[in-house]
Amino acid sequence: MKKSLFALLALLTVLSMVLTGCGATSTPVPPTPEPAKPADTAVPTVPPTESVPAGEAVTISIWHQWSGDYLTAIEQAFKDYTAMHPNVTIDLSKPEDTSNALSVAIPAGEGPDIIAWANDQIGTQALAGNIVALDDYGIDTAFLDSTYEPAAVRGVVWQDMIWALPESQEGIALVYNKALVTDKYLPTDPMDFADLLAKAQAFNTDTGKYLICNQGLGNPDAYHVAPIYFGHGVPEYVDDQGVAYLNTPEALAAGNWMVEFSKVAPAETSHDICKAAIVDGTAGAWWTGPWAIADLEAAGIDYGIVPMGKPFVGIKTMMLSKNAVDRGNEAVAVDIMKYFTSGAVQAKIAATNKTIPAATAALNDPAVKALATLAGFGASLNLGVPMANTPYANAQWGPVGDATTAIWNGAQTPEEALAAAQKAIEDAIAAMK
Amino acid sequence: MVGWSGRRLALTILAFVAPTLVGITIFSLYPLLLNVFISFTNKGQYHPNPDCTATVWKIMDPACWLAKPPTGLAAPYSVQDPAIKNYSNLLGGFFTKDVLTAVLFILIAFVPLIVAWRVNRYLDRKVPRPISPGPVWLIGLVGTLVLGFLVNVLDQYQMILDSGDFIMVNVRTIVYVIICMPILFVLGLAMALILNNKFLRGVTFFRVVLIVPWAASTVAIMMTLIWQFFFREQGTINQILNALFGIQGPAYLNQAGWAWFIVVLVQVWYTYPFFMITLLGGLQSIPLDLYEAADVDGASWWKQMVNITLPLLRPVALPIIVLSALTTYKIDAIIWALTRGGPTAGAGKPGATEFVMVHAYKQIFQTRSYGLMGAFAVILFVFLFAATLYSLRITRITKGAYE
Repeated sequence: MKKSLFALLALLTVLSMVLTGCGATSTPVPPTPEPAKPADTAVPTVPPTESVPAGEAVTISIWHQWSGDYLTAIEQAFKDYTAMHPNVTIDLSKPEDTSNALSVAIPAGEGPDIIAWANDQIGTQALAGNIVALDDYGIDTAFLDSTYEPAAVRGVVWQDMIWALPESQEGIALVYNKALVTDKYLPTDPMDFADLLAKAQAFNTDTGKYLICNQGLGNPDAYHVAPIYFGHGVPEYVDDQGVAYLNTPEALAAGNWMVEFSKVAPAETSHDICKAAIVDGTAGAWWTGPWAIADLEAAGIDYGIVPMGKPFVGIKTMMLSKNAVDRGNEAVAVDIMKYFTSGAVQAKIAATNKTIPAATAALNDPAVKALATLAGFGASLNLGVPMANTPYANAQWGPVGDATTAIWNGAQTPEEALAAAQKAIEDAIAAMK
Repeated sequence: MVGWSGRRLALTILAFVAPTLVGITIFSLYPLLLNVFISFTNKGQYHPNPDCTATVWKIMDPACWLAKPPTGLAAPYSVQDPAIKNYSNLLGGFFTKDVLTAVLFILIAFVPLIVAWRVNRYLDRKVPRPISPGPVWLIGLVGTLVLGFLVNVLDQYQMILDSGDFIMVNVRTIVYVIICMPILFVLGLAMALILNNKFLRGVTFFRVVLIVPWAASTVAIMMTLIWQFFFREQGTINQILNALFGIQGPAYLNQAGWAWFIVVLVQVWYTYPFFMITLLGGLQSIPLDLYEAADVDGASWWKQMVNITLPLLRPVALPIIVLSALTTYKIDAIIWALTRGGPTAGAGKPGATEFVMVHAYKQIFQTRSYGLMGAFAVILFVFLFAATLYSLRITRITKGAYE
């Protein structure tokens, strides 16, 4: 009796192991395709469709970072595409942790066909072999130069190869609440940080509120503090040769400025805290990018945009995954990438999402030119520093974020914090070389 | 001398055991071996792919079993030079003269307490006892404090912490466990004693209310985020302070001391019901006639506590303390949700509350240094294996199984 019970138990254990093993590897069922809608009147007029084999049903999966209201307009653009190409199904998904998800999914052949991601990921993903260069799939420099803005083109080329198509450019600026912040508190010269500090102090004394909420100050986030470091004269955190610039006098000046500024700014921040602060009126301005505009409009805030410092200019791009080539989906995938980054589509998306298109044709569109956000963020982008796409770029985020937070909390002096960050970046780059 | 029937028997047994053996090999043994293998290499975000032309890689790395092994622009990962580099990076700083001397000094500081403990045990056997245990403990404690002051324990502790990230997170986690355990035990015992009081009205109500944190641990992350909100700069506590006294409190989670207090508080809040319920069971199993006899002898409440309750609770208390110590040691989700291991101490250093599992998570999923963390896991495995064996010995949890 007892023995048979053990045998049964053993059998059950093995069965459960085998079953869980199967469960982990089974392919996720793709969501049912969107029903093809009759062609919309507003369908863009220039879909480049030459290479699509007609009739053969194909599902293209795209991993992306879009969310909220942003996504709605983008989904519409893809619906328009599938309406024109009934054989194509587009499956959009937003994994939690794209980096780790890709490193597992691509070797297993279960990754996406297209990855919509920022250009600083190009180097790392190319090193890992998760993305393929587009030069072999009908994209050349002539096409890039004739279609996209020069800064965007620079952002997608690494080691003389084209790794992605640029979708939009983004950077941050001071977005302020016109009802709270009058002209006398606004910075007049985007490079004059002493003036900004004085105005923040005056605003704090006069109203008891904070002038600015920056989610990189009080929360490890190297991206949002970039305008301060670069505005003080730091050329880049890490350049294309892997040289770090945090032990420079300019970086130290930025650190010392933050120590003073911390007295007139919220100690603890995040995207949500800053959003709440500006919506509730406890802060006058939010140092943020175009992605925050939809929320401010929903809250009914009359906002203005002024440039401050030199922000990182990131390029949102679409990359072609190795899996797309393995599956033979590359022609359709590249076609979708060209369609989505085209002037007509990006102009439409810019109108609702207030993004700054990378396509020259979209930037020249009168409707886009008339957007107030484009003028505001555009002025800031013109001052900005392009985000590097080398694998070294990955070594900068953690150390700069931690050092800045340590300065902000008073855990370290600017000298100590920046020296530690310099060392951490150099160690990471040495491990890579 | 295995006859046909013996061989048949052996084969039959093997046939029954084989599926489990295969399961254990695939799901337990192989991952362990792979981890040990990776711990000698530089696999990481800059060298993610295997070199599938080499035989060892072909056998060990599952990526090489694929029809199309992954390749990228990066050089494939290789065995470190020297092979134990990851291990020496983790532990090297500890085995230096200065750090070992620091450990020795700290141990020396505790000698008076140990002596006091032994002296008390010796005196226990004397009838009548020449001195009561209190003064002996006091002398030991004073001796430890004086010695601690003389050898400058805090500086020595800091020197041990600074000898490497691995040592830092491990020592901090052990200190965290040592702080949590007595608080949990005392709080759990106090609550159990109150609930065990037969004159208490509405016992059922209090039992339900006091056990709520334990029930809430099924939604631990959500409850932890509520705790986090209490201690934010604009959180509940500061709002109350501001409304009542007009004080603007700090951002508690940005200060190392406060962050430690909060992670201890939240862990105690989650775990004390477990101590309370188990100790309550232990209390109810103590025969009442012992207390009656003690009452007749005129023993005070405290004497009954020390001489009856605590010794008889020992078989119940030890296993739960050991179990909780192990679960507290590998605490992860709660800390991650509360502080993310912060507040940061600057670049390249673990944050103030970055305990072992949080550190491992950050290194694996954010920095992606797989080789180094492979070595981390191997060392931790050896350490925890030894700790578990020892705990089994002291608690004799498994003793009943062999009798």
